Amino acid sequence: MRALCWNGVNDLRVERVPDPRILGPQDAIIKVGLSSVCGSDLHLIGGHVPTMRAGDIIGHEFLGEVVEKGPEVTRLNRGDRVITVSIIGCGKCWHCQQEEFSLCDNSNPQPAFEESAYGHCTAGIFGYSHAFGGYAGSHAEYIRVPFADTNCFRVPEGVTDEQAVFVSDAVPTGYMAADMGNIKPGDVVAVWGCGGVGQMAMKSAFLLGAERVIGIDRFPDRLRAAQMKAGAETLDYSRVDIYDALLAMTGGRGPDVCIDAVGMEADSGGPANRGLAIEDLYDRSKQALRLESDRPAVLRQMIQCCRKGGTLSIVGVYGGLIDKFPMGAAMNKALTLRMGQQHGQRYVKRLFAHIEKGDLDPSYLLTHKWALDDAPQGYRMFKDKADDCMRVVFTP
Amino acid sequence: MTRGRDGGRRIDGSAGTLERWAAILGGTALGFAGARRGSWALAALGGGLFLAGAAGVPLSSPLRQAALPALRREPTTTQANVTIAVPADKLFRHWRNVRHLAALFPHLDAVEILSDMESRWKAHGPGGVPVVWNSRLDKVRENELITWHTLEGADLPHRGTVLFRPAPGGRGTEVSLTLAYHPPGGAGGDAVSRLFGAAPEQQAREALRRLKRIMEVGALPTIDGQPSGRAERGGAEARLREVTG
Ligand SMILES: [Zn+2]
Ligand SMILES: [Zn+2]
Repeated sequence: MRALCWNGVNDLRVERVPDPRILGPQDAIIKVGLSSVCGSDLHLIGGHVPTMRAGDIIGHEFLGEVVEKGPEVTRLNRGDRVITVSIIGCGKCWHCQQEEFSLCDNSNPQPAFEESAYGHCTAGIFGYSHAFGGYAGSHAEYIRVPFADTNCFRVPEGVTDEQAVFVSDAVPTGYMAADMGNIKPGDVVAVWGCGGVGQMAMKSAFLLGAERVIGIDRFPDRLRAAQMKAGAETLDYSRVDIYDALLAMTGGRGPDVCIDAVGMEADSGGPANRGLAIEDLYDRSKQALRLESDRPAVLRQMIQCCRKGGTLSIVGVYGGLIDKFPMGAAMNKALTLRMGQQHGQRYVKRLFAHIEKGDLDPSYLLTHKWALDDAPQGYRMFKDKADDCMRVVFTP
Repeated sequence: MTRGRDGGRRIDGSAGTLERWAAILGGTALGFAGARRGSWALAALGGGLFLAGAAGVPLSSPLRQAALPALRREPTTTQANVTIAVPADKLFRHWRNVRHLAALFPHLDAVEILSDMESRWKAHGPGGVPVVWNSRLDKVRENELITWHTLEGADLPHRGTVLFRPAPGGRGTEVSLTLAYHPPGGAGGDAVSRLFGAAPEQQAREALRRLKRIMEVGALPTIDGQPSGRAERGGAEARLREVTG
């Protein structure tokens, strides 16, 4: 089959590789119909997530058709149209039983790296480096899904492919971000990053009862989509000081819930945001020297801006270590910090119900549909955010 | 189905960025762990690895050569712990049938039952060097504990204890495995490392992880045999190394 392989930093190629096979009794093989790019793929491609190996197939957000299944798969049938949650649960361990699927004890076949770096190993993720299990990804004609009964979900009749594909990753990640904010009626929610996950976090914040939602970005098309599609007010961090603006919008309180949908490659905001240029330089040089793995500009800003006693909800991806974390502010302001990779399996049914009812339509994230053969250019476009690109979806 | 075996080494053996990251993150973790345990040797080693990673020093450098013996000089007694979401009686029954244990230690080739209390174990070290020992159970407390020791003439003399204890809050069973190596020459950890090429601590931990995965999900997760751009091209990595030197 053909697959998009990572061969080194910023070196992607579509190559011929062997077809996937059933390797365990709970595996299924999915014929990929749609496979989307994701912002966190950019961290992999750029070499910011450790343990990528040349030849790895990337991609973790996809929809397809079950074409083969192992003997222990009972809930799926050949021909089923399914989405697969990007983060793999075994369905049996204590964490999976608590619906904390991204903390699964058993789905990562290569636990040594995470154990030494993080103290414990977490779930395997499709196409997401060997620290997260080394599973082959979905930018391919076929993909093998382990523990298929736990991780594949039949798409309801009334939901289109273009709506469903994002229920694999962007929608549940955004929904979980809002869910972790423990939003109460009347709450103001600020979301850093208006990409796919940020958009879904904004939409979800409203579904969970937020009164106002503020989206922060610098790309006009994303800010426009946040307004038009997600119903948010917006701030352009390249033009306004975010702290001043958020306090002005919230009577000096600050947002009740601050969501980080940006992660480790955060931009510090340029001249409009006081002092951040120096901070940005500091982080970028340390990151370049590998003395710091992540740039925490958004985290620092969220801690400054969040109302006293408020909640930070972090779904933007971080890989390792950050410097100059304002712990004093976080502690003295009694902030709650919540974070994690998505526990998608917990949310899929709820999300499909919202889509069927019409109060959520993630299909607008799909701005470009390209052939898999053009995937390297697709990623370039997505990275450069050219042509108002929100998400490129590949069709094998 | 023994992915855990090369979990660590796979990572070690591949691209340069990877090695570097492993050094930065692993080094930091080690440094903190060392500081926490009051072990300055560990802390210093962690710091060294971190700096090596940060500076891009390849880990095959002298620093690593100097570091590894320090790591290998493990205490003779090693312990590993895991919580398994399965009742103690089930785990006890599984362990009591020593034939099942071959699946937990990848170096084991065969476990032969000689009598209710005695068994014969065959393993292989690097290069296929055969390692053989006879083992006798000492104490067997139903659903709680099993202890054993090797008999005279064993290639790898050791004692072992496995303990099963109910975990709080319905989390299943806490399993604790202790292995004490006491070969004639002293320094038990060294002997194990020589025979099996990994720190005994890591072997014990991986054995318990395999037990957990077999008992909870019925199999070890694997990526062996899945497609990648490496298989067809005879190693993209090799080519990448050529390019990057
Ligand atoms: Zn993603
Ligand atoms: Zn699990």
